[in-house]
Amino acid sequence: MRRPIKVLIAKAGLDGHERGALVVAMGLRDAGMEVVYTGIRNTPEQIVAAAVQEDVDVIGLSSLSGGHMAQFSRVMELLKKEKVKGVLVFAGGIIPDEDVKKLQKLGIKEVFGPGSTIASIAEFLKKNVRSK
Amino acid sequence: MTIQGKQLTKLVTRLEGGERLPAELYAQTGKARIVGITGPPGVGKSSLIDRLIDELRRQGKTVGVVVIDPSSPISGGALLGDRLRMQRHSEDDGVFIRSLATRRHRGGLTDSTPQIVHALDAAGFDIVIVETVGTGQDEVEVAEVVDSVVVVLMPELGDEIQRAKSGLMEIADVLVINKSDLFGAPETLADHRHSRTQWERPTIHTSARNGEGITTLSGALDAHHAYLVASGELARRRDRAARAEVIRLLQSRLSVSILCALEAPQAQTILTNVAKRKLDPYDAVQKLLVKILGSNNRSSKHVARSPR
Repeated sequence: MRRPIKVLIAKAGLDGHERGALVVAMGLRDAGMEVVYTGIRNTPEQIVAAAVQEDVDVIGLSSLSGGHMAQFSRVMELLKKEKVKGVLVFAGGIIPDEDVKKLQKLGIKEVFGPGSTIASIAEFLKKNVRSK
Repeated sequence: MTIQGKQLTKLVTRLEGGERLPAELYAQTGKARIVGITGPPGVGKSSLIDRLIDELRRQGKTVGVVVIDPSSPISGGALLGDRLRMQRHSEDDGVFIRSLATRRHRGGLTDSTPQIVHALDAAGFDIVIVETVGTGQDEVEVAEVVDSVVVVLMPELGDEIQRAKSGLMEIADVLVINKSDLFGAPETLADHRHSRTQWERPTIHTSARNGEGITTLSGALDAHHAYLVASGELARRRDRAARAEVIRLLQSRLSVSILCALEAPQAQTILTNVAKRKLDPYDAVQKLLVKILGSNNRSSKHVARSPR
Protein backbone atom coordinates (compact mmCIF):
# COMPACT_ATOMS: atom_id res chain seq x y z
CA MET A 1 0.00 0.00 0.00
CA ARG A 2 1.17 3.49 -0.77
CA ARG A 3 1.68 5.48 2.38
CA PRO A 4 -0.07 8.78 2.98
CA ILE A 5 1.85 11.80 1.72
CA LYS A 6 4.31 12.78 4.44
CA VAL A 7 4.90 16.48 4.96
CA LEU A 8 7.28 18.48 7.13
CA ILE A 9 5.94 21.89 8.13
CA ALA A 10 8.50 24.20 9.71
CA LYS A 11 9.30 27.80 10.37
CA ALA A 12 12.88 28.92 9.97
CA GLY A 13 14.74 31.60 11.83
CA LEU A 14 13.52 34.22 14.27
CA ASP A 15 9.85 34.25 13.37
CA GLY A 16 7.29 33.46 16.02
CA HIS A 17 4.16 33.76 13.89
CA GLU A 18 3.07 30.18 14.23
CA ARG A 19 -0.68 30.22 13.65
CA GLY A 20 -0.63 29.98 9.84
CA ALA A 21 1.82 27.10 9.77
CA LEU A 22 -0.18 25.22 12.38
CA VAL A 23 -3.45 25.81 10.51
CA VAL A 24 -1.86 24.45 7.32
CA ALA A 25 -0.46 21.46 9.24
CA MET A 26 -3.88 20.62 10.65
CA GLY A 27 -5.54 21.19 7.30
CA LEU A 28 -3.18 18.78 5.57
CA ARG A 29 -3.80 16.26 8.36
CA ASP A 30 -7.50 16.58 7.59
CA ALA A 31 -6.68 16.00 3.92
CA GLY A 32 -5.24 12.61 4.89
CA MET A 33 -1.55 13.48 5.06
CA GLU A 34 0.95 12.65 7.78
CA VAL A 35 2.37 15.96 8.90
CA VAL A 36 5.50 16.32 11.00
CA TYR A 37 5.23 19.71 12.60
CA THR A 38 8.48 21.10 13.96
CA GLY A 39 7.23 24.56 14.90
CA ILE A 40 9.12 27.81 15.15
CA ARG A 41 12.79 28.80 15.23
CA ASN A 42 14.24 25.92 13.25
CA THR A 43 17.57 26.48 11.56
CA PRO A 44 17.72 25.53 7.86
CA GLU A 45 20.16 22.82 8.94
CA GLN A 46 17.63 21.37 11.37
CA ILE A 47 14.89 21.47 8.76
CA VAL A 48 16.94 19.57 6.21
CA ALA A 49 18.19 17.03 8.78
CA ALA A 50 14.61 16.45 9.95
CA ALA A 51 13.40 16.04 6.35
CA VAL A 52 16.04 13.38 5.76
CA GLN A 53 15.41 11.48 9.01
CA GLU A 54 11.65 11.62 8.54
CA ASP A 55 11.95 10.75 4.83
CA VAL A 56 9.22 13.23 3.90
CA ASP A 57 7.76 13.77 0.46
CA VAL A 58 7.17 17.47 1.02
CA ILE A 59 8.69 20.36 2.97
CA GLY A 60 6.44 23.32 3.71
CA LEU A 61 8.24 26.47 4.85
CA SER A 62 6.49 29.37 6.47
CA SER A 63 7.74 32.90 6.96
CA LEU A 64 6.02 36.09 8.04
CA SER A 65 8.99 38.05 9.25
CA GLY A 66 10.76 38.97 6.03
CA GLY A 67 13.57 36.46 6.44
CA HIS A 68 12.34 34.17 3.69
CA MET A 69 15.02 34.88 1.09
CA ALA A 70 17.91 34.14 3.44
CA GLN A 71 16.30 31.21 5.23
CA PHE A 72 14.59 29.46 2.30
CA SER A 73 17.54 29.77 -0.06
CA ARG A 74 19.75 28.19 2.62
CA VAL A 75 17.27 25.29 2.91
CA MET A 76 17.39 24.78 -0.87
CA GLU A 77 21.18 24.98 -0.86
CA LEU A 78 21.44 22.36 1.89
CA LEU A 79 18.98 20.04 0.15
CA LYS A 80 21.22 20.17 -2.89
CA LYS A 81 24.36 19.68 -0.81
CA GLU A 82 22.87 16.70 1.02
CA LYS A 83 21.67 15.26 -2.31
CA VAL A 84 18.10 15.05 -1.11
CA LYS A 85 16.05 14.15 -4.15
CA GLY A 86 12.37 13.91 -4.90
CA VAL A 87 11.25 16.22 -2.11
CA LEU A 88 8.81 18.95 -3.10
CA VAL A 89 9.31 22.26 -1.33
CA PHE A 90 6.55 24.82 -1.04
CA ALA A 91 6.27 28.01 0.95
CA GLY A 92 3.70 30.22 2.56
CA GLY A 93 3.36 33.43 4.50
CA ILE A 94 3.96 37.08 3.75
CA ILE A 95 6.18 37.03 0.71
CA PRO A 96 6.36 39.95 -1.76
CA ASP A 97 5.53 39.16 -5.40
CA GLU A 98 9.02 40.04 -6.59
CA ASP A 99 10.45 37.41 -4.25
CA VAL A 100 8.05 34.69 -5.34
CA LYS A 101 9.77 34.39 -8.71
CA LYS A 102 13.18 34.33 -7.09
CA LEU A 103 12.09 31.57 -4.75
CA GLN A 104 10.64 29.58 -7.61
CA LYS A 105 13.92 29.91 -9.44
CA LEU A 106 15.60 28.37 -6.41
CA GLY A 107 13.35 25.34 -6.77
CA ILE A 108 10.49 26.22 -4.46
CA LYS A 109 7.57 24.81 -6.35
CA GLU A 110 4.80 27.12 -5.16
CA VAL A 111 4.24 30.00 -2.77
CA PHE A 112 0.90 30.36 -1.03
CA GLY A 113 0.17 33.85 0.23
CA PRO A 114 -2.62 35.26 2.41
CA GLY A 115 -6.09 34.12 1.34
CA SER A 116 -4.91 30.75 0.02
CA THR A 117 -7.28 27.97 1.00
CA ILE A 118 -6.25 24.73 2.65
CA ALA A 119 -8.08 22.91 -0.13
CA SER A 120 -5.93 24.56 -2.79
CA ILE A 121 -2.73 23.61 -0.96
CA ALA A 122 -3.88 20.01 -0.41
CA GLU A 123 -4.92 19.71 -4.04
CA PHE A 124 -1.61 21.12 -5.22
CA LEU A 125 0.32 18.61 -3.12
CA LYS A 126 -1.78 15.66 -4.19
CA LYS A 127 -1.28 16.59 -7.82
CA ASN A 128 2.46 17.15 -7.59
CA VAL A 129 3.70 14.62 -5.07
CA ARG A 130 4.36 10.98 -5.60
CA SER A 131 4.18 9.35 -2.22
CA LYS A 132 6.70 6.61 -1.50
CA MET B 1 26.18 -5.10 6.32
CA THR B 2 25.89 -1.78 8.11
CA ILE B 3 23.31 0.87 7.62
CA GLN B 4 23.47 4.56 8.32
CA GLY B 5 22.29 7.96 7.19
CA LYS B 6 20.02 7.97 4.21
CA GLN B 7 20.09 4.18 3.89
CA LEU B 8 18.67 3.92 7.39
CA THR B 9 15.95 6.46 6.75
CA LYS B 10 14.88 4.68 3.55
CA LEU B 11 14.94 1.32 5.30
CA VAL B 12 12.70 2.67 8.06
CA THR B 13 10.25 3.93 5.43
CA ARG B 14 10.10 0.48 3.85
CA LEU B 15 9.56 -1.17 7.23
CA GLU B 16 6.85 1.33 8.00
CA GLY B 17 5.19 0.32 4.74
CA GLY B 18 5.09 -3.33 5.81
CA GLU B 19 8.25 -4.74 4.26
CA ARG B 20 10.51 -6.99 6.26
CA LEU B 21 13.89 -6.28 7.79
CA PRO B 22 16.66 -8.12 5.91
CA ALA B 23 17.63 -11.23 7.88
CA GLU B 24 21.31 -10.27 7.93
CA LEU B 25 20.36 -7.08 9.78
CA TYR B 26 18.20 -8.91 12.28
CA ALA B 27 21.23 -11.06 13.07
CA GLN B 28 23.04 -7.91 14.19
CA THR B 29 20.41 -6.81 16.68
CA GLY B 30 20.21 -7.38 20.41
CA LYS B 31 23.01 -4.99 21.34
CA ALA B 32 21.06 -1.80 22.00
CA ARG B 33 19.24 -1.02 25.21
CA ILE B 34 15.60 -0.47 24.38
CA VAL B 35 13.67 1.97 26.56
CA GLY B 36 9.95 2.69 26.33
CA ILE B 37 8.44 6.00 27.41
CA THR B 38 4.69 5.93 27.91
CA GLY B 39 1.95 7.79 29.76
CA PRO B 40 -1.08 10.00 29.19
CA PRO B 41 -1.12 12.76 26.56
CA GLY B 42 0.42 16.05 27.64
CA VAL B 43 2.47 14.86 30.62
CA GLY B 44 5.68 15.81 28.81
CA LYS B 45 6.99 12.54 27.38
CA SER B 46 8.60 14.17 24.34
CA SER B 47 10.09 17.03 26.33
CA LEU B 48 11.48 14.53 28.82
CA ILE B 49 13.08 12.58 25.96
CA ASP B 50 14.59 15.83 24.70
CA ARG B 51 16.30 16.25 28.09
CA LEU B 52 17.23 12.59 28.30
CA ILE B 53 18.95 12.81 24.90
CA ASP B 54 21.09 15.66 26.31
CA GLU B 55 22.12 13.51 29.25
CA LEU B 56 22.82 10.39 27.16
CA ARG B 57 24.84 12.38 24.64
CA ARG B 58 26.87 13.86 27.50
CA GLN B 59 27.70 10.29 28.44
CA GLY B 60 28.82 9.67 24.87
CA LYS B 61 25.95 7.33 23.99
CA THR B 62 24.20 7.44 20.64
CA VAL B 63 20.41 7.50 20.62
CA GLY B 64 17.76 6.32 18.18
CA VAL B 65 14.26 7.59 18.88
CA VAL B 66 10.89 6.43 17.57
CA VAL B 67 8.01 8.75 18.44
CA ILE B 68 4.42 7.83 17.77
CA ASP B 69 1.30 9.95 17.43
CA PRO B 70 -2.21 8.83 16.46
CA SER B 71 -3.60 8.75 12.94
CA SER B 72 -6.96 10.38 12.40
CA PRO B 73 -9.77 7.81 12.33
CA ILE B 74 -11.60 10.22 10.01
CA SER B 75 -9.05 11.35 7.41
CA GLY B 76 -6.26 8.82 7.93
CA GLY B 77 -3.86 11.75 8.26
CA ALA B 78 -1.86 12.63 11.34
CA LEU B 79 -0.25 15.57 13.05
CA LEU B 80 3.10 14.32 14.29
CA GLY B 81 4.09 16.79 16.97
CA ASP B 82 6.59 14.94 19.11
CA ARG B 83 9.69 15.75 17.12
CA LEU B 84 9.06 19.44 17.72
CA ARG B 85 10.11 19.01 21.36
CA MET B 86 13.45 17.45 20.43
CA GLN B 87 14.11 19.14 17.12
CA ARG B 88 17.29 20.82 18.43
CA HIS B 89 18.97 17.38 18.30
CA SER B 90 18.28 17.02 14.57
CA GLU B 91 21.74 18.09 13.49
CA ASP B 92 23.49 15.72 15.90
CA ASP B 93 24.82 12.71 13.98
CA GLY B 94 24.58 10.63 17.16
CA VAL B 95 20.82 11.07 17.28
CA PHE B 96 18.21 9.74 14.86
CA ILE B 97 14.57 10.65 15.37
CA ARG B 98 11.66 9.22 13.41
CA SER B 99 7.98 10.12 13.80
CA LEU B 100 5.37 7.48 13.07
CA ALA B 101 1.59 7.60 12.78
CA THR B 102 -0.40 4.71 14.27
CA ARG B 103 -2.32 4.02 11.03
CA ARG B 104 -5.15 2.41 12.96
CA HIS B 105 -2.92 0.16 15.03
CA ARG B 106 -4.15 -0.03 18.61
CA GLY B 107 -2.10 -0.62 21.72
CA GLY B 108 0.11 2.47 21.74
CA LEU B 109 2.61 1.56 19.01
CA THR B 110 2.46 0.98 15.24
CA ASP B 111 2.51 -2.28 13.28
CA SER B 112 6.05 -1.50 12.26
CA THR B 113 7.54 -0.44 15.61
CA PRO B 114 9.28 -3.73 16.52
CA GLN B 115 10.94 -3.91 13.10
CA ILE B 116 12.00 -0.26 13.21
CA VAL B 117 13.48 -0.77 16.67
CA HIS B 118 15.49 -3.67 15.23
CA ALA B 119 16.68 -1.42 12.40
CA LEU B 120 17.94 1.23 14.84
CA ASP B 121 19.52 -1.50 16.94
CA ALA B 122 21.28 -2.91 13.87
CA ALA B 123 22.39 0.60 12.89
CA GLY B 124 24.42 0.62 16.10
CA PHE B 125 22.62 3.08 18.36
CA ASP B 126 23.49 2.45 22.01
CA ILE B 127 20.03 3.32 23.25
CA VAL B 128 16.76 3.10 21.36
CA ILE B 129 13.88 5.07 22.87
CA VAL B 130 10.29 4.33 21.91
CA GLU B 131 7.70 6.95 22.78
CA THR B 132 4.17 5.58 22.61
CA VAL B 133 1.08 7.58 21.76
CA GLY B 134 -0.50 9.23 24.76
CA THR B 135 -1.83 6.21 26.60
CA GLY B 136 -4.78 5.51 28.82
CA GLN B 137 -4.93 2.65 31.25
CA ASP B 138 -4.83 -0.30 28.95
CA GLU B 139 -2.31 0.37 26.19
CA VAL B 140 0.56 -1.74 27.42
CA GLU B 141 1.94 -3.19 24.19
CA VAL B 142 5.20 -1.29 24.63
CA ALA B 143 6.14 -3.68 27.44
CA GLU B 144 6.39 -6.44 24.83
CA VAL B 145 8.90 -4.51 22.74
CA VAL B 146 11.31 -2.76 25.12
CA ASP B 147 13.65 -3.76 27.95
CA SER B 148 12.68 -1.02 30.40
CA VAL B 149 9.37 0.82 30.63
CA VAL B 150 9.17 4.37 31.97
CA VAL B 151 5.65 5.51 32.79
CA VAL B 152 5.41 9.28 32.91
CA LEU B 153 2.71 10.97 34.97
CA MET B 154 2.30 14.45 36.37
CA PRO B 155 1.14 15.85 39.71
CA GLU B 156 -2.57 15.86 40.48
CA LEU B 157 -3.23 13.03 38.05
CA GLY B 158 -5.33 10.93 40.35
CA ASP B 159 -5.01 9.47 43.79
CA GLU B 160 -3.49 6.33 45.21
CA ILE B 161 -6.30 4.14 43.91
CA GLN B 162 -5.53 5.19 40.33
CA ARG B 163 -1.97 4.02 40.83
CA ALA B 164 -3.08 0.70 42.28
CA LYS B 165 -5.02 -0.23 39.15
CA SER B 166 -4.01 -2.84 36.61
CA GLY B 167 -2.60 -2.07 33.20
CA LEU B 168 -0.34 0.88 32.56
CA MET B 169 0.78 1.28 36.17
CA GLU B 170 1.83 -2.35 36.37
CA ILE B 171 4.21 -2.26 33.43
CA ALA B 172 6.29 0.62 34.84
CA ASP B 173 9.86 -0.23 35.74
CA VAL B 174 10.50 3.42 36.50
CA LEU B 175 7.77 5.87 37.44
CA VAL B 176 8.31 9.52 36.58
CA ILE B 177 6.31 12.44 37.91
CA ASN B 178 7.11 15.15 35.39
CA LYS B 179 6.24 18.84 35.70
CA SER B 180 7.27 18.65 39.33
CA ASP B 181 8.03 22.35 39.19
CA LEU B 182 4.38 23.19 38.61
CA PHE B 183 2.76 22.49 41.94
CA GLY B 184 5.30 23.56 44.50
CA ALA B 185 6.68 20.77 46.62
CA PRO B 186 6.78 17.38 44.91
CA GLU B 187 3.81 15.31 45.91
CA THR B 188 4.66 12.22 47.86
CA LEU B 189 3.61 8.94 46.43
CA ALA B 190 2.48 5.74 47.91
CA ASP B 191 3.67 3.49 45.14
CA HIS B 192 2.46 -0.05 44.91
CA ARG B 193 5.66 -1.72 43.92
CA HIS B 194 6.01 -4.84 41.88
CA SER B 195 5.44 -7.73 44.16
CA ARG B 196 6.73 -10.18 41.58
CA THR B 197 10.33 -9.03 41.34
CA GLN B 198 13.15 -7.76 43.52
CA TRP B 199 13.36 -4.58 41.50
CA GLU B 200 12.46 -1.68 43.75
CA ARG B 201 10.63 0.53 41.34
CA PRO B 202 11.79 4.10 41.82
CA THR B 203 9.57 7.15 41.56
CA ILE B 204 11.47 10.07 40.13
CA HIS B 205 10.37 13.68 40.12
CA THR B 206 11.44 15.52 37.02
CA SER B 207 10.90 18.81 35.30
CA ALA B 208 11.54 18.74 31.59
CA ARG B 209 11.21 22.51 31.75
CA ASN B 210 14.22 23.12 33.99
CA GLY B 211 16.07 19.81 33.63
CA GLU B 212 15.55 18.74 37.22
CA GLY B 213 15.69 14.99 37.89
CA ILE B 214 16.99 14.01 34.46
CA THR B 215 20.34 12.71 35.74
CA THR B 216 18.43 10.71 38.35
CA LEU B 217 16.22 9.25 35.63
CA SER B 218 19.20 8.30 33.51
CA GLY B 219 20.80 6.71 36.60
CA ALA B 220 17.60 4.76 37.33
CA LEU B 221 17.59 3.43 33.77
CA ASP B 222 21.20 2.30 34.18
CA ALA B 223 20.31 0.64 37.47
CA HIS B 224 17.34 -1.10 35.91
CA HIS B 225 19.45 -2.36 33.05
CA ALA B 226 22.04 -3.70 35.50
CA TYR B 227 19.23 -5.40 37.43
CA LEU B 228 17.85 -6.94 34.22
CA VAL B 229 21.23 -8.35 33.32
CA ALA B 230 22.14 -9.61 36.80
CA SER B 231 18.78 -11.23 37.50
CA GLY B 232 18.46 -12.94 34.14
CA GLU B 233 15.29 -10.92 33.56
CA LEU B 234 16.74 -9.32 30.42
CA ALA B 235 16.98 -12.70 28.71
CA ARG B 236 13.45 -13.56 29.84
CA ARG B 237 12.07 -10.26 28.56
CA ARG B 238 13.78 -10.65 25.22
CA ASP B 239 12.47 -14.19 24.88
CA ARG B 240 9.03 -12.82 25.58
CA ALA B 241 9.50 -10.00 23.07
CA ALA B 242 10.66 -12.38 20.34
CA ARG B 243 7.74 -14.68 21.04
CA ALA B 244 5.26 -11.79 20.98
CA GLU B 245 6.70 -10.51 17.71
CA VAL B 246 6.50 -13.90 16.00
CA ILE B 247 2.95 -14.40 17.24
CA ARG B 248 1.92 -10.97 15.92
CA LEU B 249 3.44 -11.73 12.52
CA LEU B 250 1.79 -15.14 12.44
CA GLN B 251 -1.54 -13.60 13.27
CA SER B 252 -1.31 -10.98 10.57
CA ARG B 253 -0.12 -13.54 8.03
CA LEU B 254 -3.00 -15.78 8.96
CA SER B 255 -5.51 -12.98 8.78
CA VAL B 256 -4.36 -12.28 5.22
CA SER B 257 -4.83 -15.97 4.46
CA ILE B 258 -8.27 -15.92 6.02
CA LEU B 259 -9.39 -12.99 3.91
CA CYS B 260 -7.97 -14.62 0.76
CA ALA B 261 -9.62 -17.94 1.54
CA LEU B 262 -12.97 -16.27 2.08
CA GLU B 263 -12.87 -14.98 -1.50
CA ALA B 264 -13.28 -18.51 -2.87
CA PRO B 265 -16.79 -19.48 -4.12
CA GLN B 266 -16.97 -22.50 -1.78
CA ALA B 267 -16.22 -20.24 1.18
CA GLN B 268 -18.88 -17.83 0.03
CA THR B 269 -21.37 -20.68 0.03
CA ILE B 270 -20.38 -21.62 3.55
CA LEU B 271 -20.88 -18.04 4.71
CA THR B 272 -24.24 -17.80 2.97
CA ASN B 273 -25.32 -21.04 4.64
CA VAL B 274 -24.48 -19.59 8.03
CA ALA B 275 -26.64 -16.57 7.27
CA LYS B 276 -29.48 -18.87 6.13
CA ARG B 277 -29.20 -20.86 9.36
CA LYS B 278 -28.35 -24.01 7.41
CA LEU B 279 -24.94 -24.12 9.02
CA ASP B 280 -23.74 -23.29 12.51
CA PRO B 281 -20.89 -20.68 12.74
CA TYR B 282 -18.64 -23.09 14.63
CA ASP B 283 -19.09 -25.82 12.01
CA ALA B 284 -18.42 -23.21 9.33
CA VAL B 285 -15.14 -22.30 11.03
CA GLN B 286 -14.17 -25.96 11.14
CA LYS B 287 -14.77 -26.34 7.39
CA LEU B 288 -12.98 -23.06 6.58
CA LEU B 289 -9.98 -23.86 8.74
CA VAL B 290 -9.17 -26.85 6.59
CA LYS B 291 -9.13 -24.64 3.50
CA ILE B 292 -7.19 -21.81 5.13
CA LEU B 293 -4.45 -23.94 6.63
CA GLY B 294 -4.16 -25.78 3.34
CA SER B 295 -3.80 -22.58 1.37
CA ASN B 296 -1.41 -20.88 3.75
CA ASN B 297 1.72 -22.40 2.23
CA ARG B 298 1.38 -20.48 -0.97
CA SER B 299 0.74 -17.04 0.47
CA SER B 300 2.68 -13.89 -0.31
CA LYS B 301 6.45 -13.84 -0.81
CA HIS B 302 6.76 -10.59 1.08
CA VAL B 303 5.33 -10.37 4.53
CA ALA B 304 2.27 -8.22 4.54
CA ARG B 305 2.09 -7.45 8.20
CA SER B 306 -1.55 -6.68 8.23
CA PRO B 307 -4.34 -6.10 5.77
CA ARG B 308 -4.76 -2.38 5.73
